[in-house]
Amino acid sequence: MKQTEQLLFKNRRPGETAFLKEYEGSGGYLGLKKAVREMTPKEVCELVKASGLRGRGGAGFPTGVKWSFFPAENPGPKYLVCNCDEMEPGTYKDGELLKADPHQLVEGMIIAAYAMQIDTGYIFIRYAYKEQFAYLERAIVEATEAGYLGKDILGSGFGFELHVHGSAGRYILGEETALLNGLEGKRPNPRSKPPFPAVRGLFGRPTTVNNVETLANIQHIVNGGAVWFKDLALTVEGAGTKLYGLSGHLEQTACFELPVGISLRELIDDYGGGVWQGRAFKSCLPGGASTPFLTADNLDVALDYQTLEAVGSRFGTAGVTVFDDRTCMVAVTLNLIRFFARESCGWCTPCRDGLPLVVWLLEKIERGQGTDDDLQMLKAQHRNICGNSFCALAEGAMGPVDGLLSNFEQEVVDHIQKGRCPFTA
Amino acid sequence: MPTLTIDNLSVTIPDGSTIFEAAAQLGIVVPHFCYHHALGAVGACRMCAVTVVEGKMPGLKMSCMTPAEEGMVVETDTAQAMEFREHVGEWLMTNHPHDCPVCDEGGECQLQEMTISSGHGVRNYRGNKRTYQNQDLGPFIAQEMNRCIQCYRCARTYQDYCGGRDFGPMGSRQRVFFGRFTDGMLESDFSGNIVDVCPTGVLTDKTFRFKTRLWDLQQAPSICPHCSLGCATVPGGRYREIQRVVSGVNVQTNGHFICDRGRFGSSYVNHPKRPRQARVDGTNVPVAQALNRLRDKIAGVIAEHGPGAVAFVGSGRASLEANWLLKQWARSLKCPAPVFELHPRRGRAIRQAVGPLSSHLASLRQVRKSDLVLVIGADPLNEAPMLALALRQAVREGGRIVVLDPRPVDLPCVFEHHPLTQEQILCLLAGRCETGLLNNLLSELMTARRPVLVGGSDLLGGVGLQLLGHLTESCDNDDRYCLIHPLLPRVNSFGGGLLEDAPQEDLLERLENGRIKALVCLESDPGSEHPEAGRMQLALSRLDYLAVFDCLPTHATRRADLLLPTATTVEGDGVYINNEGRMQAFSAALQPGIPIAAVTAGQHPPREFMPETPGSQPQPAWQMLQDLLGERHSVTALRRAMEQSEPRLEGMSRLQPGDEGIKVAPQDPEPVEESTVEIWSQDGDLRLLPVQSCYGSEVASSLSQTVTPRLVTPRLMVHPQEAQQRHLQEGEDVTLKTAHGLFRLRLFCDERMATRRAIVPCLPGTPLEIFVPGGLSLPCDIEGGAS
Repeated sequence: MKQTEQLLFKNRRPGETAFLKEYEGSGGYLGLKKAVREMTPKEVCELVKASGLRGRGGAGFPTGVKWSFFPAENPGPKYLVCNCDEMEPGTYKDGELLKADPHQLVEGMIIAAYAMQIDTGYIFIRYAYKEQFAYLERAIVEATEAGYLGKDILGSGFGFELHVHGSAGRYILGEETALLNGLEGKRPNPRSKPPFPAVRGLFGRPTTVNNVETLANIQHIVNGGAVWFKDLALTVEGAGTKLYGLSGHLEQTACFELPVGISLRELIDDYGGGVWQGRAFKSCLPGGASTPFLTADNLDVALDYQTLEAVGSRFGTAGVTVFDDRTCMVAVTLNLIRFFARESCGWCTPCRDGLPLVVWLLEKIERGQGTDDDLQMLKAQHRNICGNSFCALAEGAMGPVDGLLSNFEQEVVDHIQKGRCPFTA
Repeated sequence: MPTLTIDNLSVTIPDGSTIFEAAAQLGIVVPHFCYHHALGAVGACRMCAVTVVEGKMPGLKMSCMTPAEEGMVVETDTAQAMEFREHVGEWLMTNHPHDCPVCDEGGECQLQEMTISSGHGVRNYRGNKRTYQNQDLGPFIAQEMNRCIQCYRCARTYQDYCGGRDFGPMGSRQRVFFGRFTDGMLESDFSGNIVDVCPTGVLTDKTFRFKTRLWDLQQAPSICPHCSLGCATVPGGRYREIQRVVSGVNVQTNGHFICDRGRFGSSYVNHPKRPRQARVDGTNVPVAQALNRLRDKIAGVIAEHGPGAVAFVGSGRASLEANWLLKQWARSLKCPAPVFELHPRRGRAIRQAVGPLSSHLASLRQVRKSDLVLVIGADPLNEAPMLALALRQAVREGGRIVVLDPRPVDLPCVFEHHPLTQEQILCLLAGRCETGLLNNLLSELMTARRPVLVGGSDLLGGVGLQLLGHLTESCDNDDRYCLIHPLLPRVNSFGGGLLEDAPQEDLLERLENGRIKALVCLESDPGSEHPEAGRMQLALSRLDYLAVFDCLPTHATRRADLLLPTATTVEGDGVYINNEGRMQAFSAALQPGIPIAAVTAGQHPPREFMPETPGSQPQPAWQMLQDLLGERHSVTALRRAMEQSEPRLEGMSRLQPGDEGIKVAPQDPEPVEESTVEIWSQDGDLRLLPVQSCYGSEVASSLSQTVTPRLVTPRLMVHPQEAQQRHLQEGEDVTLKTAHGLFRLRLFCDERMATRRAIVPCLPGTPLEIFVPGGLSLPCDIEGGAS
């Protein structure tokens, strides 16, 4: 167990929050100073692109590429929005990060805004993160007083103002275009793309939406350079460190900052203390509730975007939820799909009406009343919902069903044949 | 103009079109719900999925959201697309209650049609269905949310298109609810449109509930008779009663929607007091006998007193054919030509629109597309509601609206309001007072790309419209005209104005000096239309003979010596010319007759058989006038004859009910008639402006039982400053003192209106009916307390 260099969790102490003094003491705002004094906005963009940083919110789109689409030279208002509506079940890394070190996000956002020449930023924060909301507000006041925010930042002529906006609290608000509608005070239904937010986003203006962890990495890239950042990962394609949030049937469940590309086995055994009560590993969600299940066959897979896609799952948010060998995967899937069916915004048919139908089918199977026809129907639902909904919610919602059907179909058949859940006495 | 292949058929369509539109052009209807021509595509229902076989992004795509590309190959019936659409059908039907036998949408249910076309037949879901508690949305709309398939069309219509704020989607997931926060009447004046757009029976016409299936409904394309815009409608009836009106489609005028007055204001056709019997000297007689009697009587008066002793009055309510035949009749008797508008000031305004302005008239479509609309002396929601909706569309497209009007004008969109008095507006247009505002507006008009001036004829009168005409001409440039959209008093006011040869002397004076012995009124009521209503009533009583053709119960029909019952718009064929000079034909949906419900007291159709339908005497006025003239031509032959006698009506004989209509030819530039100069002054502390109110001022709709819940009560409105000066409280009963008498009225205050003005709605059938819109403001005073 090698000690990982801590970037994001550098100032993390149990029960404490680092504010300006401590943050500056540990090298805070050096990245910002370097960026605005020594680099052009374009150079910052290119640096982030070269670092290989991929979006940490789940989809994993290369951040520098996303920024390069942004019309930085357009006159008029432009917006940077931080997506902190962390509502994916099993994912709590952004909350941990902000609890420990809120200034990291503020600094990251200022540099990002400088890179894209954006004048206004919003942090859209989950309704339950009341503590973090207060920390961010304090951090913004401190940063403004220290001259890191406001007009003419550090004498560079560049100005940026930052606001925190509390979400009313629905999972769909994590979808970037629904988030923009919510931020505008409208019903948070997703918008159709194109036009993408970079063209027409918040209030119809060019907008970039990035995750908390993504933005918090920016100053470290500016400080350490692209090559250094890329080398932090254990895989060739990967870059940087990642916050892994452990949950489920483990001896220890906590959030750790570890390299991208660490193996699932190492994560579970060395950091999670192994599967609880001495039981065997059965399965896990590698990156939040919407990523298909992994099995014991995948224990040695490196946790990175490409490697997980190769085994039919996704890196997602790296919120790893582990299930022991006494867990019924039908029940797990049902639990997850209930959440997604409840969180559908109600805009498009496959999500609004398809997911409840999947819930009904899984309930029936779990009760032991399922038939072979129900299994066929479940497969047909999976086939037709995936890829055909308005936004990615339904697609993600079907992730567990996808994993269930590809890795645990026999368990479903057992339910049907035995006429009961095989995991209940 | 990409060319693509859909189901092995090649189609070329305009740039920016979608696969759905391309398929529609080929006659392929891809099943759909959320797409609607007036609302566009939003990609919510996912029903219109097709397979893109070749193209930039092959695979299953939503045809309404996918742009058509050059060389694209699309198939609508691949196994993948058909399986997916079947699933969409199944998902949408999961909770549908299958109560089709008792659902009002049955027979015209898009959900039925599209479910069948999706291929879904048997529901696999066996769980409990989601249910809702319905809301009372007021007298017009019935809600049955269990039937909802969440296509969002109602919300997109009510909120986005119509600008309503009290109805929309609430909740999320499978429990999305379309309604209000609490029960209550929908506030929008366009609420009925959600009935037309709802693809199933969630939102239905409450006034039409449980009455008739579509296949039993007698329908015909028609023109809304309630204001001068001439919106396309489709009235439907059965059992000899009008039962509902839905919007017709005319992209030049109303588009796809209509206002609630047009939709719900048609049950005057069923009014129990409506004239249905020809009557001579108090005795009911057959129509033919009454016509003979009328012919003889008029001949007698002419023999005794000369042709100058007979006067004819046409109207803006009567069809163009009837007005023209009236004119022919007067000419054949060598009598003075008919008057088509009894209100002299309104008449002058109509002549301006028909004459000098006719080369610059804008359609509602042009208003919707305008980037700057100046609304001068008009209150669209009260005078011509669909204009308000057109203004909203202009704003949605980035246009700007500026309103100059003394009333507390409300519009379903953002606009700039300058509460100037009628006199101030006329002074401004005449350049006689402070012109800073006008100069600013003028410079904006000069640079606007598609400017339109809306002018209310009631407030502006002939002089005002003439000044507006000069204004438009001064803002014309080489690329475009500055257009004008005048609001006129009635549905066919333009038609009447067009038939008028020369301005006539005021009928009131001719009646008062006793020169007129016999008066023939065609669908007009002098006692309620002339500005001096009281004097007019008195003068009418001096007549030797009053003959009236009408379909509405009026003062004139009550005291007529000879009454001929005419058919309403929904019972006859005809042509109206709207405020922009567009001739539009309407056709009969129903035959006249007393509603069976009224004859049988709600029982089953009668067992007693009669030789003729009860109450079937009314005929279109033009048919009776043809009989009088001793000729019986078909409508088309009649219209051809009219085209020959009035060259501006060219094209009239080609009109088809339900088409876009044909604009009348602009008037040849000829010496413009000099309008009578109106003298205006601002004497007195307070002046009274009688105005139109959406519900109550227009006679036909105010006689419709269905709009009773919306009728405006008599009231007096002032700026809060005026109330304060007089120590009056909003809500108290005050006395309005005018030259027409004293009126006890409830006081309302609105700070958006002009100061030094009091406003009363003109309401036929109430004490306020003495006030007629279309005049200059009157001196008045207000006193509080129980004086």
